[in-house]
Amino acid sequence: MPHEVAIYGVLVPGLLPVFLGCLLLMVLLDLVVGRLGLYRHVWHPALFRFAVFVCLFGAAGLLLIH
Amino acid sequence: MSTVPAIDSVPAMSRWPWLAEFLAGERRAWIFVGKSLLAIYTAAWLAMWLQLEQPATTMITVTIVMNPHSGMVLAKSFYRAIGTLAGSLFGLALMSVFPQQRELFLLSLSLWVGLCAGGATLYRNFMSYGFVLAGYTAAIVTLPAINNPLNVFDSAVMRVSEVLLGLLVAAVVSDLVLPQRLRMVLRQGAREQFAKFTDFVRGSTGGLIPRAQMEQVHLASVRTAVHLEDMRASVIFEDPEANVRSTRMRLLNQRYMAAGTSFQSLHHLINRLQRGGNPAVANTLITLYRPIGVALSPEPVQQHDPAVLAARLAECVAQLPAQVAASRASLVEPAVLLEFDTGAALLQRFATELRDFSALEVSLRGKQARGTVERVHFRRANDIAGAAIAVLRTFLTMGVLSMFWLASGWAYGASAMLLATIFSGLLAASPNPISAATHTLFGYVAGMLAAFVVVYGLLPGSDDFAALIAASAAFLLIGPYLTTRDTLPGVGAGYSLGFVYILALKNPMVYDPTHAFNDAIAQVAGIVLAGLAFVFVPTVIGSAWQRARQVRRMRELVALVANAPLDGLAWRFESLSRDLFQQVVTHTRPGSDESRSLLAWGLAVQESGRAVLELRRELADSHDLAPAARAAATAAVQAVGRLYHQPDAVRWHDADAAVREAIIATAAVPAVRQYLYQLHSALRDDESPFAMYIPPSSPESVHAT
Repeated sequence: MPHEVAIYGVLVPGLLPVFLGCLLLMVLLDLVVGRLGLYRHVWHPALFRFAVFVCLFGAAGLLLIH
Repeated sequence: MSTVPAIDSVPAMSRWPWLAEFLAGERRAWIFVGKSLLAIYTAAWLAMWLQLEQPATTMITVTIVMNPHSGMVLAKSFYRAIGTLAGSLFGLALMSVFPQQRELFLLSLSLWVGLCAGGATLYRNFMSYGFVLAGYTAAIVTLPAINNPLNVFDSAVMRVSEVLLGLLVAAVVSDLVLPQRLRMVLRQGAREQFAKFTDFVRGSTGGLIPRAQMEQVHLASVRTAVHLEDMRASVIFEDPEANVRSTRMRLLNQRYMAAGTSFQSLHHLINRLQRGGNPAVANTLITLYRPIGVALSPEPVQQHDPAVLAARLAECVAQLPAQVAASRASLVEPAVLLEFDTGAALLQRFATELRDFSALEVSLRGKQARGTVERVHFRRANDIAGAAIAVLRTFLTMGVLSMFWLASGWAYGASAMLLATIFSGLLAASPNPISAATHTLFGYVAGMLAAFVVVYGLLPGSDDFAALIAASAAFLLIGPYLTTRDTLPGVGAGYSLGFVYILALKNPMVYDPTHAFNDAIAQVAGIVLAGLAFVFVPTVIGSAWQRARQVRRMRELVALVANAPLDGLAWRFESLSRDLFQQVVTHTRPGSDESRSLLAWGLAVQESGRAVLELRRELADSHDLAPAARAAATAAVQAVGRLYHQPDAVRWHDADAAVREAIIATAAVPAVRQYLYQLHSALRDDESPFAMYIPPSSPESVHAT
């Protein structure tokens, strides 16, 4: 994965599409988990969601950059 | 962890309840101050670490979006991100179209900022922030680069990165650190709505509700409905579970409104029968109403438990037809059957709607959201003329500033324009913009003075981030603290903005008192001009002119219901009428003549509109209706629509005659006839706004036929 990608001739950091993809994934995850009501079993849902997002983004970023 | 800011009743404090209350309020305020400072400094640190040009932009962004409730920050950030992207794209496009023609460039920019300010007045939730920010970003991206068009792209990328970083930090901090959940407020509001409504229905089994009380109840219920919708629109950003339940919450609110309208119609009818010489029918209807009250009265502990109530209501609805038939048989006079049938149908409709409302409430309180429900929307009644005036005002402000800038060659014109852009948008939606502008200006100047002290008194010599915090925190926290005081609207926000602007954190830091002083003067000029524009082009929000137009629009809803396609019309009518009513009512003085007339119209529109709607549905469903009867009923619908469109004595007579003819023509079709009778009785209600048209001694009865 290149460190920068060109979108219509504009160089943007390669992590930007990864970030957007992870956001999308997070929205889907929220839909499923929210529907099942599983966040009620978590002490701090917002912190938990943030942590999940960091894991997703970190893992995806590291996998793609290396 | 408790997320509801509850007032802790420590025994020692219970002697001084005001002290406990004061401490709880202070605790909330200081939590917010702490979160704001954390977010601002984190954002500044990250911006410096990422080597962005102007960490100040990031800090300003955080200052604008911080709000005590998490859902609010997330909602603001979401719309703001969209606004930011739209604004920066527009700024770039503008710069590439007019790189050399500064006049055309400033003209187009003024127009864009004006349109954005107009858009901001159209929406009363956080979408308006998106518009404000679309204008602001276009200005902030292009204005600093105006002397150097080749730089605009780099400038745009920098500004957008800084703004988005600020949004991200504000969202994360307010969501993670001691969040004060709006969701809890929403849940409590929804439960109160349910409890209050069922209590009121239970308590009114006596039948007779004075018109004045009905008006107050309608007012309260409209407030709840609109307020819950406002909160729902924010909470979905805060909480994934609420997001999944969003459709259901919308439907719940719509069912609540529908049941409320039926309840009113029923009681108007009973009241009229009691006054109009048919107390026997009224009493029979009251007897029929009693089972609903009984169904709503289980053990006291279960009285607000929707699961219990829904089951009992379902049983009650199933038994109602038999009871109606029995009561009908007991009526000896055949002449009153039409009145009875109308009332009985309304009663059954109300019971069914109440049952559906409770059932939906049960499914909403469940742990899992199962299945899907009908998609409905809460329609907002937006005022296009008000928005157009905001567009004009902002365009003029920006145009005057641009002209002055071009003509004088003022070096700091860009700062003035930027501040005018921000405050034109923010103030456009305010009901009292001149006083808001004054407050903001005071706060802004105070913030700038504080920042001067910090930058030129305390900062020089400090060489790391900790020293920056040590020097500025004590002054910075005043802003967020003032925001939590309701008595000083605008001062806190002005203070924070002024402080952060003059602090002007750069990478690396620049100390230039002359520049800062000139900048300060330009910024104050920008705010003053934005406020001054409201003197020359006054705001229409809350003006008598706008109220009169909104009342007319509310009346015209009946004409709309009489003509528009039926698909989804019920939801549209119920939400539009309430949204308009709410908007007008917030600007009238309670108890004044205007307010009374407004309330009377509100109730009349609610009742007749719904009756017209149900009548049209019935007409559409009954295919084997005689053509003559259908024509008469349609003519009646049209006549009522015309009457509401422009009420006067002639139209009232036309409507009255048309409805009466239709009642005669549809003698064979009771299903259609009952709605016509309801319309007829609403037209002849001597407590409605039509009272002055009713001839003193006219034949009241339609039973001669």
